[in-house]
Amino acid sequence: MIRMFGYLAWRSAYNRTARQARHLRSPRYVAALLLGLAYLWFVVLAQRPAPAADLADPRWLELVGALALLGAVAWGWIFGVERRVLAFSPAEVTFLFSGPVSRRGLIQFKLLRTQLLILFNALLWTLILSRERFGVSPWLRVISIWMLLTTLSFHRLGASFVRTSLAEHGRLGVRHRVVSLVVLGVVLVALTWSIGEALPRFAGADARTPIGFLSALGEAAAQPLPTALTYPFRVMIRPLTAHSVSDWLQALWPALILLVLHYIWVVRSDTAFEEAAAALSLQRAQALSERPAGRQVRWAGRRVSAPLIRLAPEGWPAGAILWKNLVAVTRTQRLRNVGLALAVGGVVVTALSFEPEGTLAEIAGWFAVTWAGAMTVIGPQWVRNDLRGDLLKLDMLRSYPLRGGSVVIAEVGASALVLTAIQLSLLVIGYLAFLGNQSMEPSLQDRTLLLVAAFAFLPGINLLGMIIQNGAALLYPAWVRLGSGRPAGVEALGQNMLMMLVFVALLGVTLLPPVAIGGGVFLLLHGIVSRWAAIPATTLVLGIMAFEAALLVNWLGGVFERTDPAAAGIG
Amino acid sequence: MPVIEVEGLQKLYGDFPAVQGLSFQVGPGEVLGLVGPNGAGKTTTIRSIAGIIIPSAGTIRIAGHDLARDPVRAKAALAFIPDEPHLFEYLTVEEHLRFVGRLYGVADVRQRIPGLLEELDLTEKRASLPGELSRGMKQKLAIACGLLHEPQALLLDEPLTGLDPVGIRRMKATIMRRAAAGAAVMLSSHLLHLVEEICTRLLVLQRGRVVAFGTTAEIIARRPDLGSRSLEDVFLDLIGQDEGAEL
Repeated sequence: MIRMFGYLAWRSAYNRTARQARHLRSPRYVAALLLGLAYLWFVVLAQRPAPAADLADPRWLELVGALALLGAVAWGWIFGVERRVLAFSPAEVTFLFSGPVSRRGLIQFKLLRTQLLILFNALLWTLILSRERFGVSPWLRVISIWMLLTTLSFHRLGASFVRTSLAEHGRLGVRHRVVSLVVLGVVLVALTWSIGEALPRFAGADARTPIGFLSALGEAAAQPLPTALTYPFRVMIRPLTAHSVSDWLQALWPALILLVLHYIWVVRSDTAFEEAAAALSLQRAQALSERPAGRQVRWAGRRVSAPLIRLAPEGWPAGAILWKNLVAVTRTQRLRNVGLALAVGGVVVTALSFEPEGTLAEIAGWFAVTWAGAMTVIGPQWVRNDLRGDLLKLDMLRSYPLRGGSVVIAEVGASALVLTAIQLSLLVIGYLAFLGNQSMEPSLQDRTLLLVAAFAFLPGINLLGMIIQNGAALLYPAWVRLGSGRPAGVEALGQNMLMMLVFVALLGVTLLPPVAIGGGVFLLLHGIVSRWAAIPATTLVLGIMAFEAALLVNWLGGVFERTDPAAAGIG
Repeated sequence: MPVIEVEGLQKLYGDFPAVQGLSFQVGPGEVLGLVGPNGAGKTTTIRSIAGIIIPSAGTIRIAGHDLARDPVRAKAALAFIPDEPHLFEYLTVEEHLRFVGRLYGVADVRQRIPGLLEELDLTEKRASLPGELSRGMKQKLAIACGLLHEPQALLLDEPLTGLDPVGIRRMKATIMRRAAAGAAVMLSSHLLHLVEEICTRLLVLQRGRVVAFGTTAEIIARRPDLGSRSLEDVFLDLIGQDEGAEL
């Protein structure tokens, strides 16, 4: 059976790669490949290794890495692991589910298929980290990264089983998941306790500098409970930070045992999941047979919320696409949760900021502001209610009586609006968190000005960012993942990181002219009209960004009108 | 005046000619059936006329508007209904119709929706998302979206795919009603009995070329050697598969 799975996974990957390579007949794809390789060379390979003096202390690497992993895993458990990690393709469902394949066999196939992606990303990470002088050798580093990613991938799969089991089987799911849930409960209580214990260490003035913060972090993590909590994550990181082969071998065994334990957990979880599903089916059948004759069976239907915005029958025709994409966002559970969390967070931090000891509000404030900034870079990969989702329906889009430019601006406008709303909400939370802080620099007046500036500039920056992302999908549909989903999880972290670096470079190039010209005007006029120079400079920056956006939308609109769905491989 | 005018249509994929030298017209009230074996170029032809595929050569005019020069006006006059319904995951049945109403600027969309839902037996599903619909209902919704703006040209690619017998009967009635109201209808199908029943003329394609064009009677009349045999026999003969049919 394993050979059959191997054949299917290998041939599918090979044929997919061959199909993507065939697009290299087009000069557009060749140009992208050459630019990508040149970029990779410049960013990674042509850089000199970090000097020995700059070597990071492996203990810090281990601690920060372990905490990052702990945070990522906790996030997955608390806010939900995406259900698509369990997904099989329609063809796999047709052939494998109806074939003589056990459920355990199916999950082994799932794990095997993920391995190809993990191996690819392990190689990418090795390349990205090649100039860093920690670790033993590139080959051992590949193995270390592969083990780390595989363990995390198994954990994600196991967590999704537990969550699915609870969501679909309720109390029955709890009974089948008692061990996992007890472990999870203990970890969450210990984590909350540890954070509560550690908070005072960060309240001191020393913790406000990076070194002071790291030092406080180190002290907090050295306590018995945090040490126990971070131990499995340290075990996963340790082979990466080993400096000799013997150290590496010593660190390898615990990491390997952790990986095997995860494998057993996932495979056993799947069996338990199937048992739970079977038991539930039996219960349902019994309930139906005991139901009085003639009574209708009522299945719980999904309630659809009314759209927040009403669509007028007349007006800008492409407004229909904008409306459709915004409606889709309001009906996505994940984004609704984000909205709810932001609203509650805003109220809580405002209240906390007026407390005499406002440390918690400050931490939340810095967290919100940092996230708002990070969203400029990572947000355009997350928010995808635009052409990246709709290009699979290119046939329909092309048959609408709309100009290409109208389609493009309506599509990118929707995702830019959503991203901007999230970022501005985070910034408002950050602003409110420091509202009661009278001694803070910059002053409240300057912070208010910065918030106003964010309201002015973020929509334009996000629009350009989304145009870049959608442009990539439109120009290279065969190489960009289309549909609402995107490669996610630790397995795809390497390629997502690389894509993000390319995006940042392109966004930087696009923002250079408005920033340079607007900045120049500000400096020129500042001596004459002081702060008021910001008004013409801002107007100029926004004007140039709008001009750039118009040029790009017009160009991409032409590309949209010329794209042949069949030739592009999406028809 | 013809609603659909196609002249010298050619579509090449690399060196492979998917469609070549295709010329025909469809007038108001006509139903043109596009038939041919798999890979004959039926879908390429329909998708070219719908403005989805850019032809390598030739001109297409919809309601007097050149599709290449004035695509927005030309597309506003047509509706394309694909064989696989492409619906939006997060819009309900009724919202799909409102969405299409805005795209085509249908001012009285609210008044039109109930009748259309009734005609296609979708009234009870008006608040459902596509994920809650069966394959046939999704197809009906795609058809409702196509009919909402009362197009002058109606292009249907395998319109009966996924429909049950009642749905097929309703669909045939809908097509004929639209044609009677003055729309030019063009449909592709493998179902020769459907084509024979509702199409006023046939266009038989083979390897991207026209092998027969006219009414069923005209096409059969051109082959007196086949005597009074059925359209299916004539079709198989035209595409060179008559020996297989004898087996």
